Amino acid sequence: MQDLLDSALSRIRTAATAEELEAVRVEVLGRKGVLTNLSKDMGKLSPEERVGRGKFINTAKQALESAWESGKAVFEKIALDSRLDSEWLDLTVPAAGPRPGALHPITLIQWEIEDLFRSMGFSVLDGPEVETEYHNFDALNSPSDHPARDMQDTFWLGSGNLLRTHTSPVQVRGMENLGPPLRMIAPGRVFRNESVDASHEHTFYQVEGMMIDRNISVGNLIYFMKTLLGSIFGREVTVRLRPGYFPFVEPGFELDIQCLLCNGEGCPVCKQSGWVELLPCGLIHPRVLEMSGIDPNQWNGFAFGLGLTRLAMMRYAIDDIRWLQSGDLRFLGQFA
Amino acid sequence: MKFSYNWIREFVPGLDVPAEALERLITMKTAECEGVHTAGGLLAGAVAARVEAVEAIPGGHNVKATVDAGKYGRKTVVCGAPNCKPGVMTVYVPLGVKQVSGVLSDGMLASAAELEINKDHSGIVEICHPDQIPLADSIIEIDNKSITHRPDLWGHFGMAREVAAITGMRLADTIHPNLVPAVGGPYEIGIPDTGLCPRYSALVFENVTIQPSPLWLQARLTAIGLNTRNNIVDLTNLIMAEMAQPLHAFDRAKLSGDTIWARPAQEGERMRALNGEEYTLAPANLVIADASGPIAIAGVIGGADTAISDTTTSIVLESANFQAASIRKTSSALKLRTDASMRYEKAQDPLTTWRALARALELLPLLSPGIRLVGGVCTAGNEPLTPAEIQLELDVLDRKLGRVIDAAEVRRILQSLEFTVRDSGPRRFSVGVPTWRATKDVSIADDLVEEVGRMVGYDSITPTPPMVPCAPMPDPPEREFLRRVRRSVAAQGYTEVSNYSFISEEEARRFGFDPAQHLRVLNPIAAGQELMRKSLLPGIHRNILENAKHFDTFRIFEIGREIHPREAMQPDERQHLMLAIFAKDDGRAALQELKRVVEAVAPGLAVASVSPRVWEHPGRCADLVWNEVTVGRLSELHPRLLEGGRGAILDIDLTSIQANPRPAIRYSAVRRFPSSAFDISVLAPQRVQAALLQGWIRQLSGELGEGVEYLGEYTGTPLLIGEKSVSFRVVVGAPDRTLSSHEINAVRDRILAGLQAQHFGHRTLSPHNMRRLMR
Repeated sequence: MQDLLDSALSRIRTAATAEELEAVRVEVLGRKGVLTNLSKDMGKLSPEERVGRGKFINTAKQALESAWESGKAVFEKIALDSRLDSEWLDLTVPAAGPRPGALHPITLIQWEIEDLFRSMGFSVLDGPEVETEYHNFDALNSPSDHPARDMQDTFWLGSGNLLRTHTSPVQVRGMENLGPPLRMIAPGRVFRNESVDASHEHTFYQVEGMMIDRNISVGNLIYFMKTLLGSIFGREVTVRLRPGYFPFVEPGFELDIQCLLCNGEGCPVCKQSGWVELLPCGLIHPRVLEMSGIDPNQWNGFAFGLGLTRLAMMRYAIDDIRWLQSGDLRFLGQFA
Repeated sequence: MKFSYNWIREFVPGLDVPAEALERLITMKTAECEGVHTAGGLLAGAVAARVEAVEAIPGGHNVKATVDAGKYGRKTVVCGAPNCKPGVMTVYVPLGVKQVSGVLSDGMLASAAELEINKDHSGIVEICHPDQIPLADSIIEIDNKSITHRPDLWGHFGMAREVAAITGMRLADTIHPNLVPAVGGPYEIGIPDTGLCPRYSALVFENVTIQPSPLWLQARLTAIGLNTRNNIVDLTNLIMAEMAQPLHAFDRAKLSGDTIWARPAQEGERMRALNGEEYTLAPANLVIADASGPIAIAGVIGGADTAISDTTTSIVLESANFQAASIRKTSSALKLRTDASMRYEKAQDPLTTWRALARALELLPLLSPGIRLVGGVCTAGNEPLTPAEIQLELDVLDRKLGRVIDAAEVRRILQSLEFTVRDSGPRRFSVGVPTWRATKDVSIADDLVEEVGRMVGYDSITPTPPMVPCAPMPDPPEREFLRRVRRSVAAQGYTEVSNYSFISEEEARRFGFDPAQHLRVLNPIAAGQELMRKSLLPGIHRNILENAKHFDTFRIFEIGREIHPREAMQPDERQHLMLAIFAKDDGRAALQELKRVVEAVAPGLAVASVSPRVWEHPGRCADLVWNEVTVGRLSELHPRLLEGGRGAILDIDLTSIQANPRPAIRYSAVRRFPSSAFDISVLAPQRVQAALLQGWIRQLSGELGEGVEYLGEYTGTPLLIGEKSVSFRVVVGAPDRTLSSHEINAVRDRILAGLQAQHFGHRTLSPHNMRRLMR
């Protein structure tokens, strides 16, 4: 009997496969196995022998089951390891289906500016690209005989229509439709009749904005512009105002920021001046308010214009403006 | 506009701010400067020199000259000028020693061109006296756009006034208006409309000698970019550059009659101008005319036939003021911008005409010795207007600027710019505007706010948040809608492009549009950009062709406006979304994908087959219908338009979708009893559309029908050629009970019978395909 046990244990320990192990189990521990047969024979034994046989069988059973279980665990582990190993996947393989597309850099910048002004309580308004001469010029204090008209080369469409040279006409419509108090910006596509080269486009994007309330001052204007530019550039900016002429503001300014590359020390980007001209702005001309039905004795405000195209080029270090309208995915795909 | 630093200093004696610093001050207080550069740099060390001896250098035309170079001593220089002869007094420039033609040359003798006096480089400059050598100068260049509103800043005297105010120095006004005699002159002046010509004055001179101007005058004009011609023409340019008052000189011998007219041109009148062009004029153009016809286009250009020539001995010198708008119209109609028209269109001060004549009377005897004035001044026009005073409330000034400025400081600033200031109430000034600022520039208190603001400096104002009521501002829904569309489409793999709004006639025709139905740009930037697009397709098509050179497959989209002209109305601008997929396959997947993508933009959009357009694959095009309105198109580009791949295009009118929103969502009760489903496969000819079958089945399923879902299609054995099997899953149920198999079968039988009636068969159903759905 002891031999039987030893031989069975040895076979369990040396089983080469899970199947071999299972065969030993069935042969020894199974319902028709050797051990079962030994216990069946017990009726023929004397009580003493029976006690001895019983003890032996129990001990043997425990020893065999324990050996079998550890053997089984080994084979299970091997099987699982093998499965896991066989299921190795290269997750660096690109996902099936299209990659996410990219939004146009102008869209990205425009949204950023819109969100900023929305957070400061400004409406974002839109207007037609084909404008009337009245809204584009006259209502902005540029009558037809005024040399200021020459400041913007215009695409004319006939019957008093033109392609808007700025988004300021949206401001006029905003004043006409919403009245004061008013906080609005107008981002959009504008057109100037200029030849295209690396830094000039006839089609570009800008955002113009205005705030009309009671007692708006140049100090308020500077505050908003500093806040705006600080947020755009992600750091505090130093700005300066100097006189600038735009017929729809009085006084009118050019706003410069201290060059962010050289901090005002002078470098090629700022042409050694330490300052970069960024946006025109000013207090809205009383005549402009009046023409849009707003009483300039009760209300006043500021207006400004910012080139989205220029801003996008600064932000993404784009050196040739023509990429923006190129439709070339080698360029556009970089903004995903 | 270029300004000479030396010239400005003549009007601001003792000015000690260097040109570079002055440029910055002008930028911050007055107008944008574009830079400073030196004019006549060689003049800085130049001295008069007399050529003492000349010795030919063999093998060339250069000579070795010995010169007496004043403080530099005797020098040997190599010179190639034909007029380098002993006895000539010229200009020596110490440039150091270098070897020229085998001879050591110490410095050089300079031509007038090298010294930037004029453009003459035919020989060395000849002078009579050392004092004739002009001084080197610094030129400050001002951006013309920034002085559009300032007629006075188109001359040096006006800029000098600013400089004096900025630096707190005295402005020296050297003009003596009383030089102009108070008596009349030999010509009558006829002005039918003094609105167009508020003042015309002329002086007549005889015994005129036409000769080159003195070098200082030539140097001055050259430094600011004007040409030199002769003493008379140069004088007119000098005074224009000094006082912003254009002058014109006629050869008196070539005038006829005794009246000079400033009148509208007669229709079709012609005049040959100084630039050699012949202009045909219209009544909108003001002309200066004598008895024979136009002798100048007023304020723009003089006539060639009455121009000064070398033989001129008698001149009529015009100093006139014209209406800015009229000059501007004429100048743009004739496409002729001149130094004169540029100044007139800024609205010059009529009083300056007089000052300019006084200046001419002062200078002419120096430029043309022996010249004699004939009689007095020929003049006509309006009496000068006294500008109305402006009431300036100091509190308003402080409020608009956002800082307090002392009343005395306000007064000082305004007076330094030659405004008159008197108290007209508590903290209120009555401000008189100088005539040269009153024509267009300064008329309301806000203009004075600018004068004070720029002079105190805007950097003295503290940024302050405004105190305003906190209220939400209206937000048009379109903005958020367009953002959602852009985000969703980009997330699904499409890259945004931006195309021009312009297309060519050829492009319009290629896509089946009539060029005449487009809005047309009257002055296109280039041929091929004259129409306003009525579809994003031409641009997208171009993008596909271009990108196909670099990529095998790609997805792009554009959101932009179609511009549709309308009768007697502003054009209709419609925001469109166009999606495109380029791929080199059978094209099915792309069209399917576009359908799926657009459902994110407009859920529930239906597709209806239509006849193809010229640019479409005739078997692959459909209308997109939203709330029973056609809002777009799904199609494949005709292979004629695209080789080496296929282009699937989806075009959606976002404006229509926005204007026509779906009804608001209303919750309907979720059914408590389970629904059941069964599948049926309909046999149909190949080109019967699945949507048609689906619609019928939905209709036939009656009120117990809850939905019909498309499962798929099969062609091949055992089906006939040209036949397909389309499978649908029909879901049925009732709100109050679970349907019995008898009820379900009744629905199924009704559907099959109905399809049979339309001559559509069905495939045998396997017994497992009926089941209960738990919802």
